[in-house]
Amino acid sequence: MAVKRLALGACVFACAGRAWAVDGEITSDTTTQFYDVRSPNGTPILMRTRLTTTLGIAAYDLIDRTAEPGQELQPDLTFRARMRYDADYGADPNEETPTSTDRFVPGFSRGAVDLMYAYVEGRRFVKGVIGFKIGRQYVTDALGWWSFDGGLLRITTPAFFALEGYGGLEVRGGMPLSGSLGRWEADGVWRGDRSGMDPTQYPSFQQADVAPAMGFALETTGVTWLHGRLTYRRVYNTGDSIVSQFANGDLSPVTYSGTRISQEKLGYAASVNFGKVGGANMGFVYDFYSNTTANVWATADVYVGKKVIASLDYDYFRPTYDADSIWNFFAMYPMNDVGARILWDVTPKLSVTAGGHVRAFEEQTQTDIALGTPSTIRSVDAIQGVIPQYTFNGGGTLSARYRRRDTLLAMNASANVGTEGDRVGGDVTGERTIETHYVVSGRVGLWHWEDNLRPDRSALSFGAVLGGAYRFFPRSQVGVEWENDINQLVGWRIRVLAYLRLAVTK
Amino acid sequence: MRDRWAWLLLACALVFSVTIASATAPTTLGGLTPMPNDARVPTRFMPPGSFDDDPGPSDVIFPAQELTIRFNHKLHIGEQHRQCKNCHPGAYTSNSTADELTPKGLVCDNCHLSDHTNLAKVEPGGDEMGKCAFCHVGYKDGDGNKVADFVIPRANMVFSHQKHTARNINCGQCHGNVEELELATRDQLPRMRGCFGCHQQPDAVARGDAKGACDTCHLRGGPREGNVIRTMFAQGTLQPPRWLHNAEHGPDFIERHRRVAGGDSEFCANCHKEDFCTDCHDGRVRPRRIHPNDYLNMHPVDARMASERCTSCHREQSFCVDCHLRVGVGESSPSGVKSTNRFHPPQSVWSGPIRMPGHHAFEAQRNMNACVSCHIERDCVACHGGSGTGAGYNIHPAGFLSSCGMQMRRNPRPCFVCHQPSEIAPKCQ
Repeated sequence: MAVKRLALGACVFACAGRAWAVDGEITSDTTTQFYDVRSPNGTPILMRTRLTTTLGIAAYDLIDRTAEPGQELQPDLTFRARMRYDADYGADPNEETPTSTDRFVPGFSRGAVDLMYAYVEGRRFVKGVIGFKIGRQYVTDALGWWSFDGGLLRITTPAFFALEGYGGLEVRGGMPLSGSLGRWEADGVWRGDRSGMDPTQYPSFQQADVAPAMGFALETTGVTWLHGRLTYRRVYNTGDSIVSQFANGDLSPVTYSGTRISQEKLGYAASVNFGKVGGANMGFVYDFYSNTTANVWATADVYVGKKVIASLDYDYFRPTYDADSIWNFFAMYPMNDVGARILWDVTPKLSVTAGGHVRAFEEQTQTDIALGTPSTIRSVDAIQGVIPQYTFNGGGTLSARYRRRDTLLAMNASANVGTEGDRVGGDVTGERTIETHYVVSGRVGLWHWEDNLRPDRSALSFGAVLGGAYRFFPRSQVGVEWENDINQLVGWRIRVLAYLRLAVTK
Repeated sequence: MRDRWAWLLLACALVFSVTIASATAPTTLGGLTPMPNDARVPTRFMPPGSFDDDPGPSDVIFPAQELTIRFNHKLHIGEQHRQCKNCHPGAYTSNSTADELTPKGLVCDNCHLSDHTNLAKVEPGGDEMGKCAFCHVGYKDGDGNKVADFVIPRANMVFSHQKHTARNINCGQCHGNVEELELATRDQLPRMRGCFGCHQQPDAVARGDAKGACDTCHLRGGPREGNVIRTMFAQGTLQPPRWLHNAEHGPDFIERHRRVAGGDSEFCANCHKEDFCTDCHDGRVRPRRIHPNDYLNMHPVDARMASERCTSCHREQSFCVDCHLRVGVGESSPSGVKSTNRFHPPQSVWSGPIRMPGHHAFEAQRNMNACVSCHIERDCVACHGGSGTGAGYNIHPAGFLSSCGMQMRRNPRPCFVCHQPSEIAPKCQ
């Protein structure tokens, strides 16, 4: 047992010299999926035979703590890591072979091993003042989900606020142990590993390179009815970037080299609650490079009696992209979304929500006569003077959930209608655990969509899923799900999903 | 004579009153409900943090109890001047919610003259208030030594009575005015809002140990639950109340959680590990709650309506573009799969002179993300590139010149994709 404890501790600290109550866990999720993806044109049909498996390791209480009751808030050291292997054995190998020019898709890769996170976290050091994280980690706040390799230091002051600073390298797709999807970097740049590619091949596809990043946050702590977090982040692009999209060497520069800004954003999110009356959440994101407000949101909840919450929501969204992207410079207008919703806790086991929203899109609708002759570059102010107008989308949702100890029944329905199309439908799902070991689940759904831009792609879809699982421990189970979907565009599609979840703890 | 009759009537009335009072004595002693006649307990007597018409404390934290004892706190404290510690001495030494703090029968024996020394053979007292049925609800003569079980399950939390009493925190600060009640029920157990009367402190400056961290009071799940707060109990699932960070987990919380998580992810992390979030946000298995049925076929309509929701999980220039290129719908799809069918509306609408729904400029301006999810920059540069690079169709918004100099200084790369450096240097200052 002592050896096991030491082995867990040694994952982080080679100096683990004595045995104490180190807790550890090893988890693994393995999923296989079999289905096909059909092009809206009929061909090609991508056969997907996917295997995804993760391995998670965690060790808790890596430093000794007094076992005295009521002393749980002493310094705490934790290690957590999770790796993932994600492969599609149904993919055509030519899709990742640069010389197969008729099938090659840059950035598409198979069998990528991805280190999702791996960090050591310390909390409540120096009488609760110091906290830190070292390694690959996530930061989640008003600026969204983000991941980086580096260090984070958090200082909790006695004055009800904490300071947080971090720095390192942004996790980017195409880099070692980072997968291929580039989930965490700003959008707008097609980026990855160009190994084996000819310089003239897909010049829009940029070589991934290290991206130094830093940020800080100022956050309130300790008070439960009021919370605010002001956060700032800056990321740099480095290395070479292909500039000329028709890289024939006639135009210069063909590549641009140097350290340059990737993103610089300021965000703020706050929540407040007035116990018996209601609460509110609000926030914004400002993009310094695009010099624009990217996101504003606000929600007000009003408690109508013990069981009902009435909410008003507002969202403002304008896309912004990595500073390497050309799309930041395109004329674009924000979306403004206003919604209302009611939550009714009918009983402690049954809850129902219903809501509706209107979304306003802003755009110009007049012909831009200044752009009539595309022989030379037009005046950069050519769009000025065009009167912006609005179009509207709208929709509603209805959800219900009944939950008992071993049973979950849920219904979700929504309708969204607009100039680009409509989507209306709903589904009902249920799950029941029998004798703590056997899990049966099912889902049926009926959805209709109307694609106004491509009317031939409108369809009615019926879907049904039947699943069964055996749970041998609380967090370990093996199961299969059989999904059937029918619509007139692609006929009957089947998706089979088998999974195994394991958790071993000490 | 008249006085004599008056005195006789008065005496009869007195005898009758005493008789009635004696006959109803057990009822008037109360102790079967919190208030006489089962009246509602006034909020002022409830524990701090209680609401008007309070539904009681959490069933998960304080599981249901079976109170089979009649006890009148108001009588014992108010009229007989007993103190809490006379019957609950354990409350001054207890460090665990596993400790039993309700008094044993031996404590009652002092006054009720019963004998609970041997629970297998309890001896009742001599008078009415010493009989078993006086305190044990439902007891009938002939039941012998059997009384109904009295069950107060362990609270699912971390709590040290000793720490609180040592700081002169009196019983009422957590349990309300029990001295005003007859039977003290589960409703007198603390409310989380009441705890925050003191536990509103960051770790670094807590008054004593009155820290605000969740695990000050809530049980950690240990490695079996990822070392986060334990939420699964036999009595149900622990969920945040609606007044805590506005985070009630209603049926539509999956659509609304970003407002909570984006503001205070550490709050979420008390109960959820990263895996819980990444399984959707960086997952490899389609979550059907978000993407029902054959969502693959209907996703274009959804993406055009609310593309910012897509970007909370998908990066368009990698996840979306890759797949669109593979299935041949991208303008730059490889030649072996690229479709010859037109994807967008007819040319006359898509690139015509009138900007209306279906025109590519109209669609791009209202939702640029829809373009970015399929096109690579070369697709746009062919027409929108500047002199010598593309056809010169301007895409810049009004007032662009006022800020483009700053942008070019910080990152000129995108400028040079469409423009020669010598062409724009004089304009973008």
